[in-house]
Amino acid sequence: MTPNGAVVFVVIVIAAAMLARVSGLVVLASLCSLFAVTEVGLGAVAALRRAVVLIFPLAIFMIIVWVGVVGRSPAQIAADQPGSRSAALVYVTVISARLFLIVAIVQVAAFRFAALTPLQFIRALYAPLAMKRVAVLTLSLVETLQQAIDRAYTALVASGVITRRFSMRNLLNGWILVQTVWLTAVTSVTGRMRDKWPIEKTLNLLDPLLTLERKSELGERDKIWILSSVVAGCVIIWMDLHGAR
Amino acid sequence: MFTTPRIIAIALCAALNFAVGSIVYLTKLPIYLDSIGTILCALLIYPDRIAAFVCAFLAAMISTVITTLFINPFLIWFTLTEVAIAFIAAFVVARGDALFRERPLPIVKFVIRVILSGIVLGLVSAIVSAPVVAYVFGGVTGSGSAFLVAFFLKAGQHLMSAVLHSGLTAEPIDKSLQVLLAALLFRSTPKDFIAMVRARPHAAPT
Repeated sequence: MTPNGAVVFVVIVIAAAMLARVSGLVVLASLCSLFAVTEVGLGAVAALRRAVVLIFPLAIFMIIVWVGVVGRSPAQIAADQPGSRSAALVYVTVISARLFLIVAIVQVAAFRFAALTPLQFIRALYAPLAMKRVAVLTLSLVETLQQAIDRAYTALVASGVITRRFSMRNLLNGWILVQTVWLTAVTSVTGRMRDKWPIEKTLNLLDPLLTLERKSELGERDKIWILSSVVAGCVIIWMDLHGAR
Repeated sequence: MFTTPRIIAIALCAALNFAVGSIVYLTKLPIYLDSIGTILCALLIYPDRIAAFVCAFLAAMISTVITTLFINPFLIWFTLTEVAIAFIAAFVVARGDALFRERPLPIVKFVIRVILSGIVLGLVSAIVSAPVVAYVFGGVTGSGSAFLVAFFLKAGQHLMSAVLHSGLTAEPIDKSLQVLLAALLFRSTPKDFIAMVRARPHAAPT
């Protein structure tokens, strides 16, 4: 599978998940499971674990709000009915399942290309050069920002402005940390843009590196997965029109 | 439009949106603070309003995609709100760029400007976000403002009305705070960096 095929597949699945009701989510879950098993194999377990870590606290939060506080589902509120906590719970379950499916398929697709570096992945994408440039330069700043955070944090802890543990002082002076990180990052990229990159001709070397020699085409597997997701989307719309729950 | 310093500014502002927005999202406070970078990006590029709007929107989109993938799966559905915030930031908030950097700081003017900008931004974002919150998610997203929606629903309001009231209550406060923080960061940004970001692309030699 190619990165372009994976992006198209994931976008179609996400769109279908937003339209789907319970039966549609079952169709999509089956398709995504098949995709995970055939394309990623055992790595899918780690991807699913990540999705659970992300969605579980969110589901708990929504249960507190909907089941605990409101006690009715949105449909019951819209219809001005008294409502029940069980209906609210069903509603939260469907929303959580939908979000889980979306997060899981993104994570599985990311695992599929875990062997590629971010630069290789971006290079393979069929996208305008300016967009690829923005993506690569953004990624190149991740390290710079991590270093800026480390430096600012150490300096502010050493000077007693913030503490290592949770404290009132951190709450009051947290903003100084953000400001210090911003200034550290800005200063270091200013130096890089003015001195380092022009001398090393970094940006001149970047454009040829991001340009594909030939237009990337979708492979056979890409076409199969994209077609399957389109079919799943059509089935979901058909079921929706025929009143399936 | 996309000079290297502007691309760098977009990336830094996206990182700022992501970092502060994620921390606030996880605390479940009824505020967001996820657009400080968007507003700051517009302020940095301002005199060129179209570029300020496009770059601010790009910064918002990059952070939205990253946050959606790693922290908050709801966020991507608020893309239209990001467009609105970037637009207001570039065409309304950024007009105060000279005032935000004036030394010594004219405190009264500064505060009035920040609050007015925050109210305009807040009203626009509340109105643009409300249909998404109500019709796509039935009123509850993962942010702390869900408690406000729940409160208004319990008070007997209809879904759309509860979502709108929640937005109109929380958003102006949130956005005023965001404009204040963006203005303070803009104020402390070195003028060398601002000059680099604001420099227009060179015309091609003939």
